Amino acid sequence: MCKILIPLMILGLTACQTRHVTRLDPATQIDLSGRWNDSDSRKVADQMIFELFDSDAFKKYAQSKTTKPVVVVGMIRNKTSEHIDPDNFVKKIELVIHNSGVADLVESSEFRDQLRVERTEQQDFSDPSTVKRMGMETGADLMLFGEMTSETDTFNNRRVVNYITTLFLTDIETNKRVWYGQNEIKKYMKN
Amino acid sequence: MNPGKFFIILPLAFTGLLLASCATYYQKHYDFNSEFEKGDLPKALETLQQKESLANSKSKFLYFVNNGLLLSLLGKYEESNAFLEKAFMFGEDYQINYFHEAAGYFTNPNMAVYKGEDHEHLMLLYFKTINFLKMNMPEEALVECRRLNIRLNQLSDKYHTVNKYRRDAFIHNLMGIIYQSTNDYNNAFIAYRNAWEIYEQDYSSLFALHAPDQLRKDLLNTAWWTGFTEEFYHYREKFNMPEYVPVKPEAELVFFWHNGLSPVKNELSINFLIDHRSENMVVFTNEQLGIAFPFAIEEKKERSDLQSLDIFRVAFPKYDERPEYFRRGSIELDSISVPLECAEDISKIAVHSLRERMVLEFSKGLLRAALKKATEMSMKKEDEGLAALIGVVNAMTEKADTRNWQTLPHSIYYARAPLKVGANKVIFQIDADHDRARYTFTYQAKKAQTLFHTFSSLETSLGMPYRLY
Repeated sequence: MCKILIPLMILGLTACQTRHVTRLDPATQIDLSGRWNDSDSRKVADQMIFELFDSDAFKKYAQSKTTKPVVVVGMIRNKTSEHIDPDNFVKKIELVIHNSGVADLVESSEFRDQLRVERTEQQDFSDPSTVKRMGMETGADLMLFGEMTSETDTFNNRRVVNYITTLFLTDIETNKRVWYGQNEIKKYMKN
Repeated sequence: MNPGKFFIILPLAFTGLLLASCATYYQKHYDFNSEFEKGDLPKALETLQQKESLANSKSKFLYFVNNGLLLSLLGKYEESNAFLEKAFMFGEDYQINYFHEAAGYFTNPNMAVYKGEDHEHLMLLYFKTINFLKMNMPEEALVECRRLNIRLNQLSDKYHTVNKYRRDAFIHNLMGIIYQSTNDYNNAFIAYRNAWEIYEQDYSSLFALHAPDQLRKDLLNTAWWTGFTEEFYHYREKFNMPEYVPVKPEAELVFFWHNGLSPVKNELSINFLIDHRSENMVVFTNEQLGIAFPFAIEEKKERSDLQSLDIFRVAFPKYDERPEYFRRGSIELDSISVPLECAEDISKIAVHSLRERMVLEFSKGLLRAALKKATEMSMKKEDEGLAALIGVVNAMTEKADTRNWQTLPHSIYYARAPLKVGANKVIFQIDADHDRARYTFTYQAKKAQTLFHTFSSLETSLGMPYRLY
């Protein structure tokens, strides 16, 4: 009887579990499921920013302008089988462009619409001395857009996924592609 | 009997009495269940909320989801979501309590906390999402959508064999519908494509359920609207719909029909014989059912404890299905009739999931029975009276875990219908073998708006409260 009751009592004493939470350096790479995660977003952003700034075509384009080129971010289409938010790495790229001073950024269509509503309402409701003028938006020179694709191969409990992120920086006036960058992340997972 | 033993026997007897109720979970809550099945939802809610102590019980998950579902049916979406959020957080924070688990092995599995079936955790988020959409809160619905995605990933990581319910096509489909309603066609396309693959690869073989035609159209529409022309033509050919051209209506209605009621867990008692032929092994057998479970016995004492045990009863859970009463449904508007298509057969998923883990259930049940009997036999050598009492308590406490979310529908059907801006009169018709019901609804639609409606028919083909069945 004791052989049964004693382990039960020990279990009783150890039953109260606590949840452990640890704060980590955001740069720490942790892979749990093998799906796209923050480390992949960071890797794509870091490598593509470097490729963009290092490209001769972009340097040449920037030098040809009398002012800093103005960039707007367009649509990054996701063709993978996962719900990946490309904003996670696009915002990092935008941040570096903005802070580097190499180019200026204008708001994408999502935020532009809100600004236009605000500006329109100012015409009717704001102090005339503070009303912002219509028709003074800065037109972008370049649009950054692209797509994400993935190729998956599975056999039994093994899976290989290759994520390909392609970004283009295109001259809005001429449709000429100024910069073209591609990043691949290949993962092998075994259950 | 000496006085010391009295203090051992008394709590044992008391525990036995407490756990002795042989009623299933359904029967314990019969008042609530019968009111719900009769469609007296306010009374059912009142009955449920009178049992507030359930919110701190080992079945608290069921208390939360039953409240959430009932309040949703009653149109109290905010209150419903408050309960469903509690159920969701329970799932997030759930940790195994080893003491309760061990207690389950020595008495019965109802001593452990009910953690909820996989499909139940997905369904609670379905109801929560629909509540937000009905309240015209698409951003909040999208949050639930992301939670669903995480839950789906957890589910697919949990199981690795193809025969398990490890991917939910309807939930992917639902995510597509929500993304589409918020004009996020790219994510909608991904969700629809995943849903279509799962219907074709998993659901068709596991549950005899194929991808709805509406899903094919939605997949093509969102491919086109995202600008995935290559994918559009690829799937149009694959679906054999060469003439299909995506058309955006002025507004849309997505109509979900919750048909019938999900199965109820009941108890199945099986008598086992012990076969002592092997040296280090005893085999629990039931020849009638063709079941044989070997258990390794290492110690001589354990072997002798089980030696005199020849036959015993073990209780296992099983599902009693409640077949649908209504067989098909459709919505009619402006001389168009759109059939409602089955997108999720919750009944089949529940039964399949239990069947798939039945080996585990058998092992747990037999281990429980073996532990109980070994304790009884061990005690018999010290005190026959106490051993007899333990035997009585063991027999009284032997029962299966019959808890499940019993207010869920049997199946979910859906249809997407075009609306015009302004008032739209829609007739919803459901047909049984010799019966028909028609309901008329009027929807006020704005330009490019997607309206959501759910209709629950609680009738089952049993035609009477489940208990009498």
